[in-house]
Amino acid sequence: MLVEEAAWLYVFAYLGAIGLILLGLYGLVMSRHLIRMLLGLSLLEAGVNLFLIAAGYRPGGVAPILTEATRGLLMVDPIPQALVLTAIVIGVGVQALALALVIKVYQAYGTLDMDALTAHIAAVPVARSAPTSVSAEEASP
Amino acid sequence: MIGAVLLVVLPFFGAFLLPLLHRHYPPVTYWAGPVVLISNLVIALGLWYGVSEVGPQSIIFGGFAAPLGITFYIDPLAVLFVMMLNAGCLVLWLGAWHRRLHEEILILLITGAGCGLMLSGDLFNLYVFFEIMAVASYGLAASRRHGPDSHAASLRFLLLGATASSLGLLGIALIYALTGTLNLSHLAILAPSTLHGPVGLAAFALLLIGFGVKAELFPLNTWVQEVYATSPPRISALLAGIVSKLALVVVLRLLLLLYSDTSAHLLLLTVGLLGLVSAELAAWRATDLRRVLAYSSVGQLSLMAIAFSIPGPAGVMAGIALGLHHALVKPALFLLTESWQARLHELRGLAWLCRCSAFAFVLLALSLIGVPPLPGFWAKFWLLQAGFAAGGWYQTALWIVLLSVIIETAYLLRITRLLFARQASPRFCEPPQRRNLAPVLLLGGVLMLVTLSVAPIGDGLRRIAQQTVDTGTYINYTLSAWQDDKSHWNSFPTRRLTP
Amino acid sequence: MNLREFAGLIFLLGLGVLLIAVLTTLPYSNSLTGVGNNILAQAPAEVGTANIVTAVVLAYRGLDTLGELLILFVASTAVGMILSKAPGTASVTPPLSNTSTGFVFSAAASLLFPFLILLGSYVILHGHLTPGGGFQGGAILAAAFFIPILVSPASPFKHAVSSLLETVAGLVFIGIGLVALFGSGYFLAPLGHPGTPGALLSAGSLPFLYLAVGIKVGAELAGIVAHLAQP
Repeated sequence: MLVEEAAWLYVFAYLGAIGLILLGLYGLVMSRHLIRMLLGLSLLEAGVNLFLIAAGYRPGGVAPILTEATRGLLMVDPIPQALVLTAIVIGVGVQALALALVIKVYQAYGTLDMDALTAHIAAVPVARSAPTSVSAEEASP
Repeated sequence: MIGAVLLVVLPFFGAFLLPLLHRHYPPVTYWAGPVVLISNLVIALGLWYGVSEVGPQSIIFGGFAAPLGITFYIDPLAVLFVMMLNAGCLVLWLGAWHRRLHEEILILLITGAGCGLMLSGDLFNLYVFFEIMAVASYGLAASRRHGPDSHAASLRFLLLGATASSLGLLGIALIYALTGTLNLSHLAILAPSTLHGPVGLAAFALLLIGFGVKAELFPLNTWVQEVYATSPPRISALLAGIVSKLALVVVLRLLLLLYSDTSAHLLLLTVGLLGLVSAELAAWRATDLRRVLAYSSVGQLSLMAIAFSIPGPAGVMAGIALGLHHALVKPALFLLTESWQARLHELRGLAWLCRCSAFAFVLLALSLIGVPPLPGFWAKFWLLQAGFAAGGWYQTALWIVLLSVIIETAYLLRITRLLFARQASPRFCEPPQRRNLAPVLLLGGVLMLVTLSVAPIGDGLRRIAQQTVDTGTYINYTLSAWQDDKSHWNSFPTRRLTP
Repeated sequence: MNLREFAGLIFLLGLGVLLIAVLTTLPYSNSLTGVGNNILAQAPAEVGTANIVTAVVLAYRGLDTLGELLILFVASTAVGMILSKAPGTASVTPPLSNTSTGFVFSAAASLLFPFLILLGSYVILHGHLTPGGGFQGGAILAAAFFIPILVSPASPFKHAVSSLLETVAGLVFIGIGLVALFGSGYFLAPLGHPGTPGALLSAGSLPFLYLAVGIKVGAELAGIVAHLAQP
């Protein structure tokens, strides 16, 4: 009976993780609005983190904290928890950078549409009108 | 082996220290980068000498033996690419007068993370170092201050890269769920019984997605032409010439240790072939020089992936040769074309305006195509040799490789013909600035030196490839302390290896 | 629906089928996670923390934690680089107004500030005893500092102070690791005695590592939000 309960718990956790991953990927692939794509990315990362934690579950296990109440009990695997801690922080860093880029892009182009951005990038290098404008542009390191 | 730890920690220490120093002594910022890079090179040379004399080394972190703690494995392949990374960053520092504090910090972090990526022996540690490198490159790709195009291209790069990295983490989660460990040598022992089924191969495909964005593999390389066309040429040189090789070497390690003798080789071969064909055709149709170079870099990396997918040391040797040759040639090409940022037809007759750089361009293009006796020829020759010896699907692949060489010759010679045309003078291009010519001449000089000493370099590469393929030594050296005390480890199958 | 979306949908369907197929073959028992078992058995004696996840994060996988810190550092450096105004250029967006967003909101925000600092410090300092630690506590500390930004987005934020805190905390973390390297020969080895698990002063140098982590993360996240609020 314990094994069957545990199996159902695993199945629910994994199904939830897979659902989040697929939802996040759907948002990333099918939407053209930048903020929706970023939200899809958050969902994807949340799904993968949940998958990783579910992989470390032990049936009937408790959190790996040594207190009076948990003395002698079976504990879940602590390694995926440490891995997910790192993965969440990585996700936060990436999303912060993405938001900064979205702000700059909005300031420059006034749009948050991905197709418009692709068109702008495909037009590089832009046609120039006078030869002297080259040296003004090449002020980069 | 404190040196290997310092290779990783010194750039990080420097990166933390730079904002503090910049506030009080701004001139230090310019010199901090080269100081760290030169000390890293000295340490790497010491490690190279040690590894050649004594053999591969393994160090552990935190005092906890593998597979509980994290291990670093120092073998000739790792030290070779560490040296390439540091030397490349040093060459790209020459003449970068206008580099700002933030860019210097990001490049130092890429250096430290790249060294860690080459040396690490733990799967999640590889992922963390890879993410540091990736986020730093998203930041560097957006570093052109006055143009929003680079921000847009970097945003698209970031979305693709972050998605792929999350899928790579899913692959790591699958591997952990199947085996329960993250140490590469422990995984190598457990791999034949747990990872060689369909689930394990799915995990490899996900890992390939994760590392394949930086390695510019098909179909994850749509960011390449956008980022290299809009970011500063030194950053494109760094990303294309140096960082992408590190990602492919990580894929090679995973292939050799975890998935040898499986169809994972064929997956990498297919991805490489598709990437090669699509990249060379796109380069042929591209209309501005930076995009041609970007697609050509994708093609060369796909060749390297094809070489790594050939089982045996011959393929590894060809792949290393291709990687090192590309790291010499592509940064020089990107630096040359800094002021040639125009549509191709506007480059007509440029050679008569700047003869020296046109000559350098022709030399580098010939080496890229593979004209003997330049090093590019030898790299491709070793690839063809290895593929022919492997037989089967690899021989079919060789015909596609030859076709791609023909296409490459076509578009590079077309550009050369445009450069040397006598009709119109170019309207929008200037000769390269002096500060860019210095690194180009340095790289060209190294290319000539390599041309003259191909035979000993070939022998050295052959030896490195032999040592890389020898996974038994890897497992023995990393887990030697663990294998002596087996009282804890009765709960899962192990296999004692004969040295 | 264009080609990219169609290809994306095919990939999505394939991935969904693959993952559900994987679900049916994953092992549900705990006999394979031998490394986790051994860490659970050895950590209280070797490392001395009551929170075994902290032992994994700081002792067994300390290098990953250093990498984690670096990713936040990279992100905050890159955000600072991208959003810093070029000297002499005018800001494109209109300046954010400094009018307060309502009395209740700003009063509640000022009231929350000391409690958030207290909670954040508690979570950081007890990271080796209860669930929590440097990253979690640092995020709470950062929240304490960017609630004033939510109240009035143009409120001044001292980037110099947060940058200094960040730098010093990062150097302390690497410094402790280097002391361990030159002392016992292993980078980021836990220094000091393990002590008794459950006491506040246990696990050697690990609480100090988490303190450095907490301050660094708090300063960095607050700096990132301040940069984003005033582009």
